[in-house]
Amino acid sequence: MFEQIQFNSVAEFLQMGKYTFHVWSVYGLFSIFIFVNLFLPRVQRRQFIREQRNRALRDAQLAKNTAVEQERESASEESS
Amino acid sequence: MWQWFFRLGSPKWFYEMSGKWLPWLLVLMTVLMSVGILWALLFVPQDYQQGDTIRIMYVHVPVASISLACFPLMAVAGVITLVWKMKLADMVAKCAAPIGAWFTAVALATGAIWGQPIWGTWWAWDARLTSMLIQFFLLIGVIALRSAIESPDAAAKACALLAIVGAINVPIIKYSVEWWNTLHQPSSDFSMDENSAFGPEIWVPLVIMIFAVYIFFVISLILSTRNEILQRERRSQWVVDIVAKEQV
Repeated sequence: MFEQIQFNSVAEFLQMGKYTFHVWSVYGLFSIFIFVNLFLPRVQRRQFIREQRNRALRDAQLAKNTAVEQERESASEESS
Repeated sequence: MWQWFFRLGSPKWFYEMSGKWLPWLLVLMTVLMSVGILWALLFVPQDYQQGDTIRIMYVHVPVASISLACFPLMAVAGVITLVWKMKLADMVAKCAAPIGAWFTAVALATGAIWGQPIWGTWWAWDARLTSMLIQFFLLIGVIALRSAIESPDAAAKACALLAIVGAINVPIIKYSVEWWNTLHQPSSDFSMDENSAFGPEIWVPLVIMIFAVYIFFVISLILSTRNEILQRERRSQWVVDIVAKEQV
């Protein structure tokens, strides 16, 4: 079942007979395909987490501002 | 049994479980794919007619055959969405469409590169090639349909229907090489039989690559489904906790 290595030298391996372009472009495309499909979800996940954090920060800031405003309003009402 | 079925439908449960599966799947994929690619590139004997282009088969055949799994998967998810309104099924269906489009495109491209030296042409309006191209357009159609409908529920229903109808193309692709006698050769008979045209030195690495690419499909589907779950459940406390904890 196990054949020997089919090439006598590295140069011969890289040449792939008459089909240098065909064989290596297919394997190159396949590598890009795998890399992109495993890497892209990671990027999207990071993006999502960053967005959600920014939103949480903004919401917290907004809540703080409204709280300060309300306090100020009730203080001015009391003094009048 | 039903309890198990519905627990599987819980996005949170799926998110947690898939997080545990992912490292194992990645290890398994890396091992199988390294063995498969090295075997295909170094040890598979040259074909007496095709020479070294035989090595293209170990990428083209796995990618093409797994691209056919996409529509049945989306159709099953579609039925589950329509009948039980399970949210997770729709998320899986949504994420499967672009991945399936990738697989189909790579199958078409690697097929063209293989066809050029062997058939003397990059493309022909052959039954297999044309039905694969239709699958590609159908997948683009599913993606476009989802983005065109604003209401998520309506989009889920419409895409589920399109996936169920579109799955009819899969047997057409599968049997196209037998029904119409055009350029693309039928599947070879890879049996254990000694009379089979191919010895184990040809088909064992192919089987390894098919498993490796299948696992790769599952991994990319899990990865993007997890992102989809986070996106849709972003108001739930458990997602808020994840967002707070994770290092970016």
